[in-house]
Amino acid sequence: MINLTVNGIEHSLDVEADTPLLWVVRDFLDLKGSKFGCGAGLCGACTMHLNGNPIRTCITPVSAVAGQAITTIEGLGNPDKLSSVQQAWVEHNVPQCGYCQSGQIMSATALLASNPKPNDQDIDNAMSGNICRCGTYPRIKAAIHSVANKSATQNSDLFTNASVIKSMESK
Amino acid sequence: MTSLSSVKNHSRRNFLKATSIGTGGLMISIALPGCAALKNGGMNQVDGQEQWNSNAWLRIDSDNSIHFVLDRVEMGQGTYTGMTSLLAEELEADPEKIDVSFAGVDSIYRNTIYGIQITGGSTSVASSWQIVREAGAATRMMLIQAAANTWEIKPNDCSAENGQIINNTVGHPQQGQSLSYGQLAGIASTYSVPSDIPLKDKADFKVIGKYNKRLDALKKATGTADYGIDTELPGMKYAVFTRAGRWDSQIKNFDASKLKALPGIEQVFAINKPSAIGIAIVAKSYWQARKAQQQLKVEWHESELDKVDDASIFAQYKKDLAEDNGKNVRSEGDIEYALEDAAHTISDEFEMPFLAHATLEPQNCVAWAKPDSLEVWAPTQSPDMAQVAAAKATDYSLSDIKINTTFIGGGFGRRINQDFVAEAAAISEISQQPIKLIWSREEDTQRDWYRPSSYHKLSASIDKNGNISGWNHQMAGSGVFDYFVGEAAPAQYPFAPKFMYGFLESAGKIGEGIIAPADGSIFEGAEALPYDFDHINVDYKKSDSGILVGNWRSVGYSHNGFIVESFIEQLAQNPIVKQQGKDSYQFRYQLLNKHPRAQAVLKMAAEKANWGTPLEGCSQGIAIHKSFGTWVAQVADVSNDALENGQIQVKRIVCVVDCGQVVNPDMVNAQMEGGINFALTAALYGEITIKEGIPQQTNFHDYQLLRMNEAPQIDVHIIESDEKPTGVGEPGVPPLAAAVANAITAKTGQKFNKLPLKLS
Repeated sequence: MINLTVNGIEHSLDVEADTPLLWVVRDFLDLKGSKFGCGAGLCGACTMHLNGNPIRTCITPVSAVAGQAITTIEGLGNPDKLSSVQQAWVEHNVPQCGYCQSGQIMSATALLASNPKPNDQDIDNAMSGNICRCGTYPRIKAAIHSVANKSATQNSDLFTNASVIKSMESK
Repeated sequence: MTSLSSVKNHSRRNFLKATSIGTGGLMISIALPGCAALKNGGMNQVDGQEQWNSNAWLRIDSDNSIHFVLDRVEMGQGTYTGMTSLLAEELEADPEKIDVSFAGVDSIYRNTIYGIQITGGSTSVASSWQIVREAGAATRMMLIQAAANTWEIKPNDCSAENGQIINNTVGHPQQGQSLSYGQLAGIASTYSVPSDIPLKDKADFKVIGKYNKRLDALKKATGTADYGIDTELPGMKYAVFTRAGRWDSQIKNFDASKLKALPGIEQVFAINKPSAIGIAIVAKSYWQARKAQQQLKVEWHESELDKVDDASIFAQYKKDLAEDNGKNVRSEGDIEYALEDAAHTISDEFEMPFLAHATLEPQNCVAWAKPDSLEVWAPTQSPDMAQVAAAKATDYSLSDIKINTTFIGGGFGRRINQDFVAEAAAISEISQQPIKLIWSREEDTQRDWYRPSSYHKLSASIDKNGNISGWNHQMAGSGVFDYFVGEAAPAQYPFAPKFMYGFLESAGKIGEGIIAPADGSIFEGAEALPYDFDHINVDYKKSDSGILVGNWRSVGYSHNGFIVESFIEQLAQNPIVKQQGKDSYQFRYQLLNKHPRAQAVLKMAAEKANWGTPLEGCSQGIAIHKSFGTWVAQVADVSNDALENGQIQVKRIVCVVDCGQVVNPDMVNAQMEGGINFALTAALYGEITIKEGIPQQTNFHDYQLLRMNEAPQIDVHIIESDEKPTGVGEPGVPPLAAAVANAITAKTGQKFNKLPLKLS
């Protein structure tokens, strides 16, 4: 059994230790927002947060993250209560096919949590691990700047999911 | 439950039909024109009777909800929003209050007859512009009539606004009151669709050209949009499928002995069906199946592709073109005379590579074989070709197969070929349980239906004054039609028994250019050369490489945009031509004198980019190309410093587009931005190479896609127009590589005869 804390909720799962975190989250916890793109850590579609840092979960064995805090796109906000980054994504009409956008939003959120006012170079550095085949890069950049330009971004704007906020506060 | 209670024979040019639904609602069935090339308008004749061919449905329920069910797919291009905007405009409803879903999920939306339905060719808005608006307008008129009858007033004394009909009769007891569409739907459903349906004037538009949101953005920003890969079924298992490196190889034998003991492995079996040859592993989880695949040993028979590589393919193209010119696709004047008589001639050759689609959602499909039916959930661009593919791969007949479509994680033409559906259907049939098949990225890259490689030979004649008199373009390569007609032809004849499929495929191939449209996948964009020369000749020699090929965003235009605009640049830079004192922009402009819309696009691109004054430290290049009815001109600013360091860095692309009237301006901008970055990926990196018949690239390390740090600033400008709308999903792609190459040539003098661009 492996203990996993995803979006502030603890799970105990009977799963092989080398199973990538992505497939555990998608198929055992039925959180389908994180996507499979390459299986090699090259595209970022599977990005989640591990203790606040963006990681490529298609190459992260579940055993390596047992007991640590994992956040997925579902842990940011939901259609009724968007996080600030999600809100910016909607306002800038960022998505086209949309498949990469969960990963993009996770990387952008991690960037803004650690650097509330990133410049273009910071954004390029933080986001170039996430491929968008539809080429929405100019809008992703504009959306990140728009969040940064709003009054001091708080974690409560970046994460609206109650259990995630609670688990962050308890740390 | 909604059920059909009556079907009325009210038609408006046979494109619209009104039906009442059991719960007091109204349903308008709409026959959208499909992929014009392959479909027979909206109607089919069967036994002398007109049969319905509707593929979109507007439903207003008594609870006031408005539903728009579309037999189109959303793969990022904005169909979902564009079509809804058209409807909302005439219906007088808030586009955000219209619930949009994909057809096929509910059987009441399925009709007995349908032609081939493909979302492709940048056709959705262009082909549906009139009819979707008419559907909205007719429905609004019927709702107004229902309200007028209720209040016993004239329809002219009612108005429609935001989902309500308002009573405007001065002095009437109910003056100023309103009835909702839901209240009126039941009454309206008893009326005929009006025969005369006036549409709004442009000046009265509230949504078209103004509405700027994406209806699917919220779902996609929250991870709640369901793609094919997200499909879940009770008791579903996971499958991986091992294919040969060469697509035509047959299985010699396989050894799965090591797999049986592995955790979660349920079944391992071979499949040998059309578009599905390989070994399936079915397991409890995806990872178990994928891991077990490493221990599977398969031996494949020799294949005709064993000795095929890029060198042999291009040698074949050249040899075939040298033997004869193939088909003449354009002839004006006398090119032989022009070239012989010329004071000067210049000639060049171009070689274009195979390209993978690299949709970020790998191919996948869920299939559930039950005793008497097969249900499929697939991210497909063509549901009825998917149905044929499933039928060919199983013992189910077409009428027993139901296809559900989902959001699509990138299409770009890849999902017109249905191999992933064939495989999933075959696996589920043998496994006798619901399965989800997921391709790995490596499988997706190595088993694509590539943009065909092609070889091009061009020459032009120049008189002593530097005028161009003649243009000759000859080319060779595989046609993509041959590689999807096997599914497309039967899809047009859904009542044909399966044993006829082989015949239909052959008939389709023979009928290409006669009963079926000509396959322009190599020559389109070359034959429509817009420049004004007295002598023009364009020939296409079909030369099949044997490698799987398919439609790739902008298809033939994807290479001809580059080739035509590169060779035109060579002419513009020719010393004799240059004596006329025209630069690359002016040279093109004067030769486009028969195309005022092209001239306007080119002129605005030059103005907006400050043509002649590059960004600091940059060089500029310009190109223009028309595809899918839409003109696009682009000016590229490329960094000089980076060139000196042996790198290509595009700083800015200015893009001007004329796509007629615009439905959603921001969606047009987005499609241009996306098309540019897609094309820049191909210009800088795109190349699938073939060795011993096997595609060599596997994942994003060796088939690179553009990343944010390489993405240029993009400025899009849209030409104001009252013309009919044309496509935007693809036309941003064709001119880009030439604009970038021409900028590099301007700085370094290097000319490019191949893609991707490689600095010498």
